[in-house]
Formats: sequence, structure tokens, C-alpha cells
Amino acid sequence: MTESSTSTRHEGHARHDRHAIALMGNPNTGKSSLFNALTGARQKIANFPGVTVEAKIGTTRFENSELTIIDLPGTYSLAARSPDERVATDALLGRIEGTPKPDGVVIVLDASSLDRNLYIGTQVLEFGLPAVVALTMLDVAESRGIKIDTDKLARTLGVPVVVVNAPKGVGIDELKSTLHRTLHHPGKRLELSYPDDFKRGVDTLHAELCDLGVKLGFTPTRPEALRLLVDGAGPFFDECEEVGGEEWTRKFFEIRDRAAAGRSLSMLEAQTRYGAIGQWMREVKQAEAREGRTRTDVVDGILTHKLWGSLVFIVVMGLIFQSIYSWSGPLMDAIDGGFGALGDWVGGMMGEGALKSLVVDGVIAGVGGVLIFLPQILILFLFIAILEDLGYMSRAAFLMDRLMSRFGLSGKAFIPLLSSFACNIPGIMGARVIEDRNTRLTTIFLAPFMSCSARLPVYTLFIAAFVPQIKLLGFLELQGVVLFAMYWVGVLFAIPTALVLKKGILKSKVTPFLLELPSYKMPRPRAVGRVLWERGGSFVRRAGTIILAVSVLVWAAGYFPRSAEIDEKYDTETSTLEKSYVAAVVKFKPDEDSESLLAQFKAIDDAHEKRVSELEGEKEEIKAATAESERQRDSETAELASKQSAAHADYENWKELAEKRADIDNRRAGEHLENSILGRMGHAIEPAVTPLGWDWRIGMAAIASFPAREVIVATLGTIFNLGSGQEAESEPLRKVVQDATRPDGSKLFSLATGLSIMVFFALCAQCAATLAVMRRETNSWKWPLASFAYMTTLAYLAALVTFQVASALGG
Amino acid sequence: MSSQTLDKLPVGASGTVLDVGGEPALQQRLLEMGVLPGIEVKVVRFAPLGDPMEIKVMGYSLSLRKAEAAHVTVERA
Repeated sequence: MTESSTSTRHEGHARHDRHAIALMGNPNTGKSSLFNALTGARQKIANFPGVTVEAKIGTTRFENSELTIIDLPGTYSLAARSPDERVATDALLGRIEGTPKPDGVVIVLDASSLDRNLYIGTQVLEFGLPAVVALTMLDVAESRGIKIDTDKLARTLGVPVVVVNAPKGVGIDELKSTLHRTLHHPGKRLELSYPDDFKRGVDTLHAELCDLGVKLGFTPTRPEALRLLVDGAGPFFDECEEVGGEEWTRKFFEIRDRAAAGRSLSMLEAQTRYGAIGQWMREVKQAEAREGRTRTDVVDGILTHKLWGSLVFIVVMGLIFQSIYSWSGPLMDAIDGGFGALGDWVGGMMGEGALKSLVVDGVIAGVGGVLIFLPQILILFLFIAILEDLGYMSRAAFLMDRLMSRFGLSGKAFIPLLSSFACNIPGIMGARVIEDRNTRLTTIFLAPFMSCSARLPVYTLFIAAFVPQIKLLGFLELQGVVLFAMYWVGVLFAIPTALVLKKGILKSKVTPFLLELPSYKMPRPRAVGRVLWERGGSFVRRAGTIILAVSVLVWAAGYFPRSAEIDEKYDTETSTLEKSYVAAVVKFKPDEDSESLLAQFKAIDDAHEKRVSELEGEKEEIKAATAESERQRDSETAELASKQSAAHADYENWKELAEKRADIDNRRAGEHLENSILGRMGHAIEPAVTPLGWDWRIGMAAIASFPAREVIVATLGTIFNLGSGQEAESEPLRKVVQDATRPDGSKLFSLATGLSIMVFFALCAQCAATLAVMRRETNSWKWPLASFAYMTTLAYLAALVTFQVASALGG
Repeated sequence: MSSQTLDKLPVGASGTVLDVGGEPALQQRLLEMGVLPGIEVKVVRFAPLGDPMEIKVMGYSLSLRKAEAAHVTVERA
């Protein structure tokens, strides 16, 4: 929120050398590239409270004046059915806190479809702000045989018209100087010839609104009265109804009925505007009737073709999914390894204690936990930016709409939801391509149901431990079938959730799916790069802080309170152990740290085991080969030991000691964890999780995995005294999980427990990063909180049913 | 030719819009996007799954669902 604090000093006393300019126009008009050409790198994202759209604010200079440019979301009309659509009008009138009040407006018009672009143009011009038209895509228009007389256009509209081509830098300076000149003259209000009774209606309503003004907290303008009269609903209407009460509503509809006189006011507005536009165009525009198909038509013939289009689509989607899912792997491993190494390095320089643990396990691990998501986010947005720039995104939506509309979504929800199978975070961020607010919110809410790759370690561990390795029908691996089923659990629950959301909370009377299919353009690397930079930065800055805070909190819950008693107990055990070895070990002074040395010795032993296990054939030969391998092992061990200036026997003793010491440390960590707040929370929720087949340890691991699901693996490692460095494929962890017992000696885990844990993790919202991104994208805590509550309840109930049914079936 | 709804026009056919109906939000959206009485529209194609459809209107391509197009009455050219 601090970022939106663009100098409120602009407001009120605008000095001559500072002006704010709003940039408005249709989507796909080159508005963003114009904004980038004007402001360069000097831009930031403005936070609009209560809405899910955002605007960018940047600055540019012209001679001695500084221009603050506000890039408002592209829209086809100022009609506001949702708060998101209302933002444009509010921003234009300077009613958004932290965003300067525009002194003028640049209306961006796409010359290749000027008629439709002028629709919102006429709406903006009715506000009477000083305005300049930036005419883009003139080259595209000309290639289609459309000629625009810009002088006539300027005279007709009564505002200057500047031809711009932002990617080529054409017209930028002229636009600035024209703006500068225009700002010093009052704007001319556009007057369209509405029918008289309609005009009277607007005037009457305007007067009524001004009476309400005090209660509303602002003075409504005439164009707003027009909007309200035509729209007859929406956020502004709700606001008026709230402060004006029933009496106001009654009066409003009386005025509206009189103005309408049985006609549709939307029709009246559209016919007046397009009527005027049509007349202007007869003067301004010359269109040669060109037969022949445009390049876009030809490309569309393939890309939206029943067969070829579908094939291309499947390939593109496969590529996106594959790259997020697997290509990000090496980068993520590098980040993971890098932060692990950083933690070891920093930890090595610090003394044992709370501070070291905070820095290494809390902060460094937390920052790593934030950055680990970057590769997936950047890869998805690389694709989205290229496809969006190219014009393919709307074609993909066109192809998938039929399927997605069955679940109350639109075609545009497909890519975000597909990406969510790799990681929910880029999926949620990708939902911003959906213009419609309700569809976007539904998509964001559904994304966490898609089984992301962070759930995979949970599945891997429990499937390997409890699902028998048998084949169904002779060829289907049961383990594979269970894994496949886990991916479907989420989808299965997402479908009814989508339908309930659509019928319930987000009930919008069927959102219209009117989608412009813009002409294809070559993606511009700079624009793509900018999107990556913005998305990555926005994730790290806005979601990263929340994720880091949660990581530190959970670290603290697992660390405190620190019982001196436990430390004392294990210190005593360690020193007793060391004393018993003192004679044997005194000669052995490793010059490397014991862990890596132990690993080297172990590698030699493992190599020997491997050689022996590979032997087959005659007994005599095996004996000889085994003896040979043993000789090799002994000589290698002796060599390594002698490098550490000690005898082999000393090494054996030292190794035994080191292993026992590690065991003590692991038990110490386990007991500390049990004694920590987290451990106590585990005990506290035990009665609630018992029906799921869990005990306090699993309950605690579930809580500890709140920052990220995969943490459950490391937590189980610690609580079962194996140390925290466990991975899902780890053989010792699998064994200890299989063998773990309850206090009464019965087995803790069974197939039923394993399934119940997997189902829980398939459905729960245990991912601080997802929730943080959800809050960032919806601009409200309401959605992440609702998502967490809903998904946790669902996960609990589903795990409960799974366990009870599986147990009853004898799992 | 007689009037019919837009979703019933075959690929390649054009027509002139006679009336635009539907619930208020849909009607307003259609009108804003340039689908209004007197304007010529042409059906370009239907999506591979049969819905939505693509039309040319005011020189640009617009995709809309058949259920939405059903509220647009056209006089076939």
C-alpha cells in the first residue's frame, strides 16, 4: 500500500509545472506501449482499494513540467456494472486516494477500428476535460485500405489528434508538446444530440444527485448522472441507494421511466453515440472496399480451424505445462541448493542458538521459499506475455470457452487453471487475463484445487510406503493409479465448487462473453521483458513479505519454548558417549567436518555393497570378486583414514561415535519439536484429527506445513528423529513411516492413514504463498480467508470419509 | 429474406441487425461492442467445439456465445 502513495501533493494545488494525465482507451490499442514509451522505467503500480484491477502510474518530463501519467485499465465503455469497471470513472474524476486527479486525458484510439474505439471516446469527451487523441495503428489501418483524415478528425472532435507509433517512437514528443499546450486551455465538452426527454431526465437526475452530494462525499458530475440513468444498476447506484434510502430509489426509477418512455435507454445511448460516430466517419474515413483476406484472417484460418487449430492448441498447452512443470526444475533446484549452501555457510560462522536458527531456518529458508516460486511464475508469464502480445490468448479462449462455460467459467480461465497443476501461484496470477471480475474471482478460488507439484512429495512418500506394488489387470501399476487419482480429487471437488460459486456468492446474471479477437502482431521482446520484470517484482515485493513473515512465525512456533532441561539431558548423554570413546578417538583428528568425512567413508562402503550386489555366477568367482572388492574398500578406507592421519581402527571407532552423536542430535531435535508451541498445538488438535487416523505428530506436521505443503516431509523427518534433511524418496524416512508406532505399540500408519493424509493435502489450502498471492490479486483478505476456511473444511471431511471407509474395507 | 437470430446464420452469411435484446447487461455489452440495429454483421466461423462463434462487425472480429447471439435479430442479406 505504501507504493500507491504517489505524491498526494499533486492534489488540490496543482502548480503550473506539474500535471496528471489519464490514459484511456480500448484494450489492444497499443495503450500500454504508449505508456511505456512516455514513462520508460519511471513507473509503478497504483493500488486501487476494493477492486481487482490495477493501474500504472509513471512520470515523464516536457520542458520544465513534469507529467504524471495514469494508465487506466483498457475498457470498451465507462458503463460500470462492477466496482472494477467503476474505477475508470473514479480515477478520471480524481476520486481515488493516492492517485492524482487528472488535469487532462489522452484518449488512445486504434485507427484500424476507429468506430468502436470512438464509443468510449465520446463518453470520455463528455466529461469536458482537456483532451488529446493519440491515434495508433494507422499503419494497420492503411494496410487494410482505410484512410483517416486526422485534421478533419481533430476538427470534428474538437480536440487535437496526434498520430503515434509507440514501438517505433513516432509521435511521442509531439504528443507531449500537444498535451502541454492543451492543458492550459479549458477542455471543450462534447455535446451529442440525445432526445430532449432523455436530456431532461439526465438534468433532473443530476440535480437529485447533487442534493445527495453531501452524503456521498463528492459532487457527482453530469456524465455520471447520464451513466446512472442508463445503467440503472451497479456500484454507483448501490452507493446512492445506501445514502438516499428508499425514497431516493423510488424517485430514481420515476425519473428513469419518464426519460425512457418505453424505450431501452442502453439502445438509445448506443444509437446516439454510434449515430454521431457514423456521421463523423463519413467525413473522416475513407475505406477502399478490399476483397482479399487480411493476414490475420489467413492465420485465423489455421489457428481456429477445427482440426489444425485444436492440434496447435494442444501442442501450445502441452508446451506451457511441460515447461512450468519440468523445465523450471533445474532452476528451482539451483535456488534450493543455493539457499541451502548459503544457510550452511552463514550457520557455520554463527554460534549455536536461537539467533543462528532464526537466521538459517527462519530467514534464509524463508527467502529461499519465496524465490523458489520465481522460475514457475516467470516461465508462465513468458508464455502469457508472448501469446497475449501475439493475439493468441483470445483465440485460446475462443477454442476452450465451450468446455469452461459448463463450469460457469470462460475460455480465458483455461490457461490459469492448467498452469495451476504445476503451481497454484502462477495460476492465480495468470487469472488477471480474465477481464470479467466474477469469472476471475471464481478462477482464482478454484486454482488451489488443482494438484500442484508441491503436493507430489506428500503423494510420493505415502504411496511408496503404503500402496502395494501390484499391477491391476496385469498392466496398471496400482501406485500409478493412486497417484493419478490424487490429481483428480482436486478437480472433482473444484467442479461443484465452481457451480456453487456461480449460483451463490458470485451470482452474476450470466456474464456476457464478448471477446474481441484482435489482429495478430509480432511479440515485442521489450514488452515481454517488461511483463516478466513487473510480475516477478510484484510477487517478490507484495507476496514475498507475507510468505517470509509466515515462515518466520512457523519457525518460531517450532523452536520455542526452548527447554534447557532437554538440552541438558542430551548434552549429558553426548558427553557420556564421548567419554567412553575418548581413548579410541583421541588419535583421530579429522581435518574436515565430520559430516562430509562420514559421507566419504559411507560412499566407499556403498560402492563396495553395490559391486557385491551386482555379482552373479559361479560361487568361486563370487568369492574371489567379493574378496577383491573388500580389499579395494579396505585400501580406499585406509587411504582416506590415513589422509586424516589415523589408523583404520581409529576410523571405525570415530565413525561409530559420529553416528551415535548424530542420533542423539536427531532425538534432541525431535524432543525439542515435541516440546515446542508447534508440538503442543499438535497435541491440542489430536482429538480432532484422531478420526482421520492421525496422531499428534501428523497433526503437527500438517500445521507446520502451512508455509508450504512439502514441509510436511521435513517435519516428519524431525519428529521421527531422522533429522530435517529428509526428502520424499528417502529410504530411511519411508521405513520409519512404515514402522512408526503409537504409544500402545500398534502401527501408526496404515494404507488408510496414508490415503487420508494424501486426500487432506490434495484439498487443503496449506500454502502461505498461494494465500498471499490470492490476497495480492483480489486486493482483499476476504478471498484468501474464505479459501482457507473452505478448503480446510473440505479437506478435513474428505480425509475423514477416506479414512473411515478405507479402514472399514480393511485398509 | 426473412429475419432470424444471429446464432442461426451459417458461416459466411451476413445480415443487418434488426434488434438487440437479452437481459440488460448483455444487451448493453452487445450495443457497446457495435452490435446495434442497422449495422452489418458477418459470421466468420464457429469454434471447434461448436460454440462460441466469431463474427465481423464494424471491421473487427468479435467472439460471442451462441446463447448471446440468439438475442440478436438479423435480416439476412
